[in-house]
Amino acid sequence: MNETARPYYWAFISLCGAVIAVYILFPIFWLFLASFKTRDQLAQLPIAFWPEEPTLQAYRDLFDSGSQSSQLLNWPTLISNSFTVAVTSTIIVVILGTFAGYAFARLKFPGRDLILGGLLVSRMFQGAALLLPTYRLMNTLGLQDSLLGLILLYSAFGLPFATWIIASSLREIPVELEESAMMDGASRLQAMFLVVLPLATPALITAAMWHFVGAWSEFAFASILLESSANKTVTIGLASFVELFTLEFQKVGAAATLVAMPIMVVFFFGQRYFTRGLLAGAVKG
Amino acid sequence: MNSSSDRWLAYFMILPVVAAVLAFVIGPTWDVATLSLTQVVMGQERGFGTLGNFRALAADPMFTLVLKNTAIWILGGTVLCVLTGLAVGAFLAIDSKMTTGLRALILLPWVMPDVVTAMAWKWMLHGQVGVIGSTMQSVGLTEQQISFLGDPDLVMWTLVVVLIWRKMPLVALILCAAIRSVPNEQIEASRMDGANAFERFRFVVIPNIAFSLTAVTVISMIWITAEFALPWIMTGGGPANASQIMSTYIYQQSFEFFSWGVASAMSVVNLVMLMVIVALYLYVNRRSWASGAAS
Repeated sequence: MNETARPYYWAFISLCGAVIAVYILFPIFWLFLASFKTRDQLAQLPIAFWPEEPTLQAYRDLFDSGSQSSQLLNWPTLISNSFTVAVTSTIIVVILGTFAGYAFARLKFPGRDLILGGLLVSRMFQGAALLLPTYRLMNTLGLQDSLLGLILLYSAFGLPFATWIIASSLREIPVELEESAMMDGASRLQAMFLVVLPLATPALITAAMWHFVGAWSEFAFASILLESSANKTVTIGLASFVELFTLEFQKVGAAATLVAMPIMVVFFFGQRYFTRGLLAGAVKG
Repeated sequence: MNSSSDRWLAYFMILPVVAAVLAFVIGPTWDVATLSLTQVVMGQERGFGTLGNFRALAADPMFTLVLKNTAIWILGGTVLCVLTGLAVGAFLAIDSKMTTGLRALILLPWVMPDVVTAMAWKWMLHGQVGVIGSTMQSVGLTEQQISFLGDPDLVMWTLVVVLIWRKMPLVALILCAAIRSVPNEQIEASRMDGANAFERFRFVVIPNIAFSLTAVTVISMIWITAEFALPWIMTGGGPANASQIMSTYIYQQSFEFFSWGVASAMSVVNLVMLMVIVALYLYVNRRSWASGAAS
């Protein structure tokens, strides 16, 4: 559309855009600001927009082992647990998803489309209805209250989608490339690793980022499975602030900022991969 | 190439994924279904083959309240998500530097962890020092500061508003992509015929994106049904169960009251509801399954 044709057009676009941008950003920004305010300022009316005396005290309190909130939960431990679970399950999901994705994209076998369809549909049932039976299963396996159990669970939940993203991107790579490599004497696995996978790197990155974000953010299953404070993850730590909500909101803000930080980093650096995965994933749930 | 060895290689390659889904999705689904037909007393199983759990669930006075709240949550949430998503998507489809930037930014709520989102909104909606209520009061919209999450009549719809912030961006982005792929000639042709902006949208754009619109509606229903952390952390189902929905009820019955019988019965109700939505989804998407499977 010609933007100079109508004088008010540009103003209208800018106004709508600004409203949407504020709507999207304000809740996160407001939380971020709160983490630099003092407890007294947060309890004050009328509400001040900027921190009067910006302070990092809330962050210090989180990591200070003597303070009240960290006696229950140790934030360095929570962060390290979350990274362990998210990174390990991401590696598992990408490796196993690559093999399965390749099989679905390239090999012919009876039941192929049915199985792939079943995997996708299975994702849609990963909700509250599975909380109780998962708890029972993990107890039976002796994996309750362990990071290993959580890693297995997240990997199982994440695999179908990773498989699907990788399979659909492999389908777009011309099959002739591997065929000619195999003519030249490469085995199927050599052709897969040396010819096809290098071309599928963007899909592998997309799958990895998606899984990492989901695993880092997961709350429901972590909260029913993890019991000892040495095993908890950051989302559990943040949720535990619900009780001291109003009194210590600067700490809630600081903790929430810490939880959001890795996600923001992944989001801003991997922008294009994200959109790819979203649009791919959206069509099939 | 040897097709029989390919077949075994394929089964070997997909084995971990299939095993994972069998162990952690299909198995637990079966387990909760059988548990719902078993008499359970404080975690001890006392005999299979009873509808007692479902009777107990139906007799729980909270059951109808939970169904009503879940209907607001899923239906209200889906309709509002798709409508706002359509409006924002149509805006984002305009060619301009600003909309290009926004298309990247808008996914931020989608990637935010639910727990962070819940805390951010809980704080903004706080009954005494919340920025939303205090702003409404200071510009004269309300006499007193409204306690959005403390008022049983408001709490469900307040949660829906937060849900929209969380889920609308993806709906907007999908519909934006669909709108941008509408053939330009059709829009120009209708402009020549004298159609105004609204008529062009209603009679040219909407029919062209009808498939995406239907698919995204059903998908939103599935996402919203699965949402648990957001309502649980914001209200815990309160005040006085006014915002108790299926997912929070299942959690509370399972892990706070240890009423596994009622919890498993509600889980089965939830699964049946999901199956209906998934069947709807498969029906809507039948075209893309048929072509997608072949490609």
